[in-house]
Amino acid sequence: MGENDHAAVRAILAGDTDAYAVLVMRHSATLFRVAYRITGNQADADDVVQEAFLRGYRKLDGFESRSNFGTWIYRIAVRCALDRIDGRKADERNRVSEETDPEQQAVQVADQAAGPERLLLSAEIAAMQKMALRSLTPTERTAFVLRHLEDRTTEEIAAVLGIAPNAAKQAVFRAVQKLRLRLATLRVRT
Amino acid sequence: MNHLSEEELVDYYYGEDAAGDRAETGRHLEACTQCAQAYRDLECDLKEIKAGGESQAFAFLETPTGDASYGRGVWAALASSLEPYPARKRAGLRLSLWQGLAYAAACAVLATCAFYAGRQWEHHQPPVVAHVAPRPAVKQPVVIVVLGDHLDRSERLLVELKHTDADNEQMAVPLRDEARTLLAANRVCRQNAKNSDDPALTKALGRLDHLLAELASQPDDLDPATIERLQKEMNQGNLLFEVRVLRTRIPDRQASAGRSQGGTI
Repeated sequence: MGENDHAAVRAILAGDTDAYAVLVMRHSATLFRVAYRITGNQADADDVVQEAFLRGYRKLDGFESRSNFGTWIYRIAVRCALDRIDGRKADERNRVSEETDPEQQAVQVADQAAGPERLLLSAEIAAMQKMALRSLTPTERTAFVLRHLEDRTTEEIAAVLGIAPNAAKQAVFRAVQKLRLRLATLRVRT
Repeated sequence: MNHLSEEELVDYYYGEDAAGDRAETGRHLEACTQCAQAYRDLECDLKEIKAGGESQAFAFLETPTGDASYGRGVWAALASSLEPYPARKRAGLRLSLWQGLAYAAACAVLATCAFYAGRQWEHHQPPVVAHVAPRPAVKQPVVIVVLGDHLDRSERLLVELKHTDADNEQMAVPLRDEARTLLAANRVCRQNAKNSDDPALTKALGRLDHLLAELASQPDDLDPATIERLQKEMNQGNLLFEVRVLRTRIPDRQASAGRSQGGTI
């Protein structure tokens, strides 16, 4: 697959734009998965995937043939997702601050799960988990997603985030601490 | 017993701890029930924070299916905004760079080959020795030149000897000294004349040699009688006349050239 990717890259740099379709269709699912896990919603994940492929295309002449295209575009996607939640963080600060307000939480889950009480409770739990994840800083959230859900090593996480390995490890640890605290609260509530 | 910190437990869970620490942590977890319970709680929490966990609390992390149609959709959204790379220009640029390097390398190889070929050719050529062809006329003109100069000086000596006063010692001594100087040159000229098969010249130079030897061998206090005797011998044998005749046989041009080169002999 790597060799096919390199052949496609050569074709693109030779002027064949359509060759990029091969790479897009081959790596879209992977990029969407990590983008979705980092951003937490499909719309943002879709935007991240498109933006990542667009950035990748424009930087393709700087892509070193020794690298793996999949890994390269994956890192770009993570950066795009990080940028997105970083920018979105300010907008959502009020919502995050309201997470302790039961009334506000009830409003949020009402749109997603109307119906029986049981479904309403499950939806509420899910909403709180989303908030728990969103309460993390963009770096913590990304580091945790990459470590816990994407099974990436600390070195890979550090490379993607552009930080030292020890800082990446600390980010994962802080994320775990915060999430466990949220889980504990949730268990008490339920 | 020091209990494990939460950070150490997290490292152990993700396998981030060093190999030695990991073994030690494992032994500690077997021995310490409190830390083992803490680890089990951590493990339970982290497993729950997974899409598809038992509680489904983090079910939202389960990503929507990204099938082939999704990739086609992304491509459809992207295709119109992608500018084709200026392939020909870039390819041409790269080609020209490679061509430039190739030309430079070829020139370097060519220069090196030319250098070594030149050196090899030079080594295989026979050594060139400067050859100066012997000039056949050189030997004889040198003799003639020396002879002309010698005859001039000898003629002057004979003239002075003819007219000198035998009783005047001051006049006779310089003649003796000049005779000593001419004696060696006369012998060289005589030998050359003999080698040249010129009997008349050889004979005349032989008589001149006799006179010069007589004059050169005189002591400081010259005997006037000896001077008169030598004058008489010279006049009787017409030695002066003979020298003048020999002198006329030598062309003036060669004689002048001989005078100009007389010092080289």
